[in-house]
Amino acid sequence: MAIATPVPVRERLERQWAERPGLLGWLTTTDHKRVGLLYFWTTLVLFGAGGAEALLMRTQLSSPNNHVVGPETYDQLFSLHGITMIFFFIIPMTTGAFGNYLIPLMIGARDMAFPRMNALSFWIFLGSAIFLYTSLALGTAPDAGWFDYVPLASRQFAPGRNIDFYCLALIFNGISSSLAASNFIVTILKLRAPDMSLNRVPLFCFAFLAASFGLLFALPALTADAIFLFLDRRVGTHFFDVAHGGSALLWQHLFWIFGHPEVYILIVPAFGIATSIIPAFTQHRVVAFPLVAIAELLVVFIGFGVWAHHMFATGLPTVTLVFFAAASALVIIPSTIQVFAWCLTILSGAARFKTPLLFIVGFILFFVIGGLTGIMFVAIPFDQQVTDTYFVIAHFHYIIFGAAVFPIFGGMYYWFPKLTGRMYFERPGQISFWIIFLGTNLLFFPMHIVGLDGMPRRVYTYPGGLGWGTYNLIETVGGFVTLAGILLLFGNLVWSFFRGMPVGIDPWHGPTLEWTISSPPPEYNFAVIPRVVSAYPNWDPPQRDGEPLVLDVGHEQPVTSPADGVLAEIADMPHESPWPILLAFCLTIVFAMLVIEKFAIAGIALGLCAIVLGAWHWQGAEE
Amino acid sequence: MNSRPVAWWGVMMLVAAEATLFGCLIGTYFYLRFSTPHWPPDGIAKPSITVPVVLALVLAASVVPLRLGNRLGIALALVLQAGYFAYAVHDFADRLRSFTPQTDAYGSIYYVLLGADHAHVAVGILFDLWLLARYRVLALRVVTIYWIAVAVLTLAVTGTLLSARA
Repeated sequence: MAIATPVPVRERLERQWAERPGLLGWLTTTDHKRVGLLYFWTTLVLFGAGGAEALLMRTQLSSPNNHVVGPETYDQLFSLHGITMIFFFIIPMTTGAFGNYLIPLMIGARDMAFPRMNALSFWIFLGSAIFLYTSLALGTAPDAGWFDYVPLASRQFAPGRNIDFYCLALIFNGISSSLAASNFIVTILKLRAPDMSLNRVPLFCFAFLAASFGLLFALPALTADAIFLFLDRRVGTHFFDVAHGGSALLWQHLFWIFGHPEVYILIVPAFGIATSIIPAFTQHRVVAFPLVAIAELLVVFIGFGVWAHHMFATGLPTVTLVFFAAASALVIIPSTIQVFAWCLTILSGAARFKTPLLFIVGFILFFVIGGLTGIMFVAIPFDQQVTDTYFVIAHFHYIIFGAAVFPIFGGMYYWFPKLTGRMYFERPGQISFWIIFLGTNLLFFPMHIVGLDGMPRRVYTYPGGLGWGTYNLIETVGGFVTLAGILLLFGNLVWSFFRGMPVGIDPWHGPTLEWTISSPPPEYNFAVIPRVVSAYPNWDPPQRDGEPLVLDVGHEQPVTSPADGVLAEIADMPHESPWPILLAFCLTIVFAMLVIEKFAIAGIALGLCAIVLGAWHWQGAEE
Repeated sequence: MNSRPVAWWGVMMLVAAEATLFGCLIGTYFYLRFSTPHWPPDGIAKPSITVPVVLALVLAASVVPLRLGNRLGIALALVLQAGYFAYAVHDFADRLRSFTPQTDAYGSIYYVLLGADHAHVAVGILFDLWLLARYRVLALRVVTIYWIAVAVLTLAVTGTLLSARA
């Protein structure tokens, strides 16, 4: 439904929306596509770090009584691996990179609802990542696991700064994620193209809406928990100190009130990517669209009521356990609705199994396998038996790597032509899928077996003669096979960036609005604001009725009503700004001072943040 | 209803996140309370009722002049809020002389809950000062919503802390 626009209009829009060239342009950018790319490159580096940590652990565990790394280093490796992959790779990669780049394009907007806040959330994220990895450089990285249970993490048993870095890095990172989540919610509810009522919103956006609501309401529990722990450790409060009226279980409750929704926050964007790729490669509308949209939201909603199923082995009353087991079983319903909808869509359409769709098929397989082991945990005695064994590791890596990361890889291939204007190489792409698929199964499937054989997680080595050695060796080999596949994937993309065949606007005949504009998209995204009559606007005939909405006088963006998408006003969006990066810099100083307990300087830096924030909003006309 | 500006949605997101944070703090208060035999623990007096209730009502009342929608209203509200804040900080410091966050878990959650609330009032006062310097209709609307939320949170915090009397 691409509509030709006159050249003068495009020139005017280009003048309006162009940003400063060069490095300064990137530092002050508010363009959601550039912010998305910044997120992409940063999270890719962090993915490399988290992957290196994983492979070091696998190397250490490849044979019994191995001594590649010692226990202290191993503790830091598995803690950092978890924290990095969850908070610094999957969430920022899905919401930060994919969400930022694609959501405005899919809803026909020219930017996010709060473009400067968007830049701010990236710079805060970067600050928190540097903050966390400074701890590794200092040799005091977090070492009590990603869920950091007290009393192991309390000052008495962990006197170093390791856990302080943990607490502060997660609070810091949480600020960024909360800002990003708020921005996505408002963008999806308010910035949709006119006439894009809720039933015409792409499922991708529903998934990101669900993830954003999850983040907004889950993160405060983690923040409160981390504040309590930091105060306990450095100010001498007694939240988790049983001897003074505190409770060690309080940590676990607050952590998992955050932590279980978190698991769904990781996976739901993957659902969104799947529901974008499947219709494009089957040329078929997603079966049961409203059910899938509701299921995406429902998964996250139910996710808030199941946290104690992570605590079946902590001695909670049986009635509590049974309640949470039943609530956990409820998640099966929306999950199954989606699995059937994906499969039926693939079967109903004329499926072309190109690389992106292969990754989605892999994702469905992993999601079902990981889901089945998940259902097993609902049986409380079984859960108590395998708690803290490799069986749990196998389960959640099938979900978090197999199901959450495979669509990220698939999405990279799928949107690569849109971002670069070039096509990736199909054959190496498919080979990379098969290598990663094989590697992932080699890596994680034997973990089920050693887990049932009783191998505990978080041990840096194990004695010979228990029959675990061979399985562990297979896992390690699988880890390196996966690495080879991922390297082939990125090698393919890098090579294609320079040598790939140029493609036009729409190589896949994709259903959503991003396939109606040039590749890569212009700064202003849409020269003419699209009018939308279905959730698959690129498959509809061009909408020619009514005056085309050009909006080329300023940074203009239509604002619509949240449910029906009725045009409400034309907003003038902010331009590029140096304030977000400055504010994030001051905030980084605050956290750096907190971790070395210079509370007075931290207070001054916080005052500086307030001044920057005031100055940021000083400009602008009085109304 | 449909014409609510993007800024209204933005501040509602902030309010939602802050309310959830206070929900967690208040939840912690009661979690600790119900796992402790004496609340407040022996040696700590029950909280007095008059001062916190009057303070919370003063803060709630400060929302009214904000609704005037002009600089005078902001100034009136600021007087009430700054008065509230000064007395609350004084009261906070006074309380610290009888028990501290380091005394036991009751002291920890008591001061963290109260301190978190006071911090939100302090931020609101900065908003007021900024508004007096750079008055804008939309910004006032946003700040008013923030203050309504802070007033409600203060009432909830006050009620939570006074529940130790029961």
